[in-house]
Amino acid sequence: MLNRLLYVAGALGLLIGLWGVYDRFVYGHMNANYGSYVVWGLWVALYMFFAGIATGAFMLATLDLLFELPLFRGSGRMALWGSLVTLPAGLAAIGLDLGHMTRIWKVYVQPNFGAVMAQLVWGYTIFLLIVIVSLWLSFRPQPSRWLKPVMVVGLVLAIFLSGGIGALLGVNQNRVSWHVSNLPAQFPIFNLTSGVALMLIAIGWFGPSRDPRRAQQLQVLGLALVVLLLVKGYYLWTDVSQALYQNSSHGAEAINLVLFGPYGWAFWLLQIGLGMLLPLIVLTMSPGRNSFVTGLMGVCVLLGLAVARANIIFPALSLPELQGLGDAFQGPHLSFTYSPSLMEWAVTAGIVGAVTIGFVAGADRLPLFARPAESAGTSD
Amino acid sequence: MSRQPTIPLTPVSRRGVLGALMAGAGALAAAAVKAAPHPATEAPKGAINVLTPEEALAAYEAEIARLRAANISGTPVDHLERMRADLLRALSKPVAERRWVMVIDLRACIGCHGCTIACVAENKLPPGVVYRPVLEEETGRYPHVSRRFVPRPCMQCDNPPCTSVCPVSATYTNEHGVVAVDYEQCIGCRACITACPYGARTFDFGYTYTANTTSSGAMLGADQAASYEQVSTFEYGKPHARRDPHDSPVGNVRKCNFCMHRVLNGELPACVTTCIGRATFFGDANDPESLVSELIVKPNVIRLKEELGTEPRVYYLL
Repeated sequence: MLNRLLYVAGALGLLIGLWGVYDRFVYGHMNANYGSYVVWGLWVALYMFFAGIATGAFMLATLDLLFELPLFRGSGRMALWGSLVTLPAGLAAIGLDLGHMTRIWKVYVQPNFGAVMAQLVWGYTIFLLIVIVSLWLSFRPQPSRWLKPVMVVGLVLAIFLSGGIGALLGVNQNRVSWHVSNLPAQFPIFNLTSGVALMLIAIGWFGPSRDPRRAQQLQVLGLALVVLLLVKGYYLWTDVSQALYQNSSHGAEAINLVLFGPYGWAFWLLQIGLGMLLPLIVLTMSPGRNSFVTGLMGVCVLLGLAVARANIIFPALSLPELQGLGDAFQGPHLSFTYSPSLMEWAVTAGIVGAVTIGFVAGADRLPLFARPAESAGTSD
Repeated sequence: MSRQPTIPLTPVSRRGVLGALMAGAGALAAAAVKAAPHPATEAPKGAINVLTPEEALAAYEAEIARLRAANISGTPVDHLERMRADLLRALSKPVAERRWVMVIDLRACIGCHGCTIACVAENKLPPGVVYRPVLEEETGRYPHVSRRFVPRPCMQCDNPPCTSVCPVSATYTNEHGVVAVDYEQCIGCRACITACPYGARTFDFGYTYTANTTSSGAMLGADQAASYEQVSTFEYGKPHARRDPHDSPVGNVRKCNFCMHRVLNGELPACVTTCIGRATFFGDANDPESLVSELIVKPNVIRLKEELGTEPRVYYLL
């Protein structure tokens, strides 16, 4: 029933997305609402969100395929599948955001490796290959001696690529709310949180119900998520309290926009309420007891993280670099206020729909949880 | 500062004023042909012509002779004439020895936005793309109220934060010290816009002024206006026609480039020549005789956001 519901929702998203992609290719960026001042919009947030899940899920896969923790044995493939499904989604989102996406080859052939974006393009390409290779190796009937070395490289890349997204923003010294040294350091934690949330969904909703370890896995992952949410909450507190202490800097303006701006409701209701407080309460009270509810908490955390990605990008770009710039010249896409257009939402719905279908189809059709050795009767 | 510019002191050729005038007239004529208004529909192939150092020297000598003659006869010399002579003198030097800077006198700016419009016309900027807006700020409270106007071109930073973030080196400081954009290389990621502390870059979304207007029969000159929008610009010394809504410069980040296509032809940037308050100055800061060299050492000079270490080449006189 749940699978069917998710398939239908995914297909609906895909249908809406087809219109969005058509509009994007025919009219270019004209029907988007990001502009020359708020230059990065919903799709960049979506890229950071999905790329974050992909690296986080890979980190979770190492529990099984690299560190061989008995409790998580058999969950590595599912985590890798999550990584494989979400990473192309993130890359598609950022690809559609480019003014000339057909020139992406230039980043491979004529890269400026000093630019964080070039490092990320190369890094994510290598990472995608590593995910594919490690998934393929994990499916082989006999354990491959190459799997662990590949997972080690993948883990290191996953951590650095997570930080790289923070660095992509953090190197802009003119954006005070981004240009803080711990922004790149925060992102691996954010992404690990995404990965744990994804695995709660995977195990809670699609895990083998006969597996006796399932409840324990959910319990441990649920408690891990509680700890990660607390750490994430602490990061948020340091960001907010430092910026607002004097309440006079550019950074304070960005934070005030997040807290009390036109989308303050999204911060309080979705990011804090639904994405942090509710999972904290539910997972602390009954960690992993109800697999469906635990999976649902994973969805809530992911939703909160998606809003958090948007809250990192939009407010920082919504502040004029120079006083009066917003009114100095009038024209399309010359505005410091931003709300995604219908076309942007449609493309987003399509990408989310594709990820949903891909993820559910993998869990539904592929032997992602059962490893050959285990299905033959091996137990811990 | 004095409103009457001094004539540059650089010695003139011994061939004399008359000879210089004749030689210069020829060079000026040649330069004028090269810098003639661009044909309305035909874009030249390849790069545009620029003055050679020899041509620039000849033109300079003619210009300085004319200015000296005017000075003797008591005819006032305008800042533009002085800057034009400075410009030609700079062009007679090797490229590496020039340092182009812009000086904007905020006391003289009257906020007419003429420079903004001149820039739009010169570079045929589409809707949503602007290189030189004029920021307006109202200060004080009634009855002590005043307005301040701050024209904001690209600062052409010596340490530009926008170039290092480009994943394909499509934006870079060129040999003239100007931060350039290679339209054919740019992938349109807009990382450079986020990095610019001055908001000096805009993205070309592909708009035209004439799209979706009523049929040509109902609007006088609609066809001519539409064709004008497709005429080549000559930014970075190359013709760039905006004919394909999916091809460069549509989908690219665009910015002020100090009108280098004009400067290298012996013409001042469009925003400088059209400034009715004579508030914008342009020239070679490496030339101690130039007007801009006199201006940038004034104690009332500032540069925007100097604390970021960007070393802008645009100076403001307060």
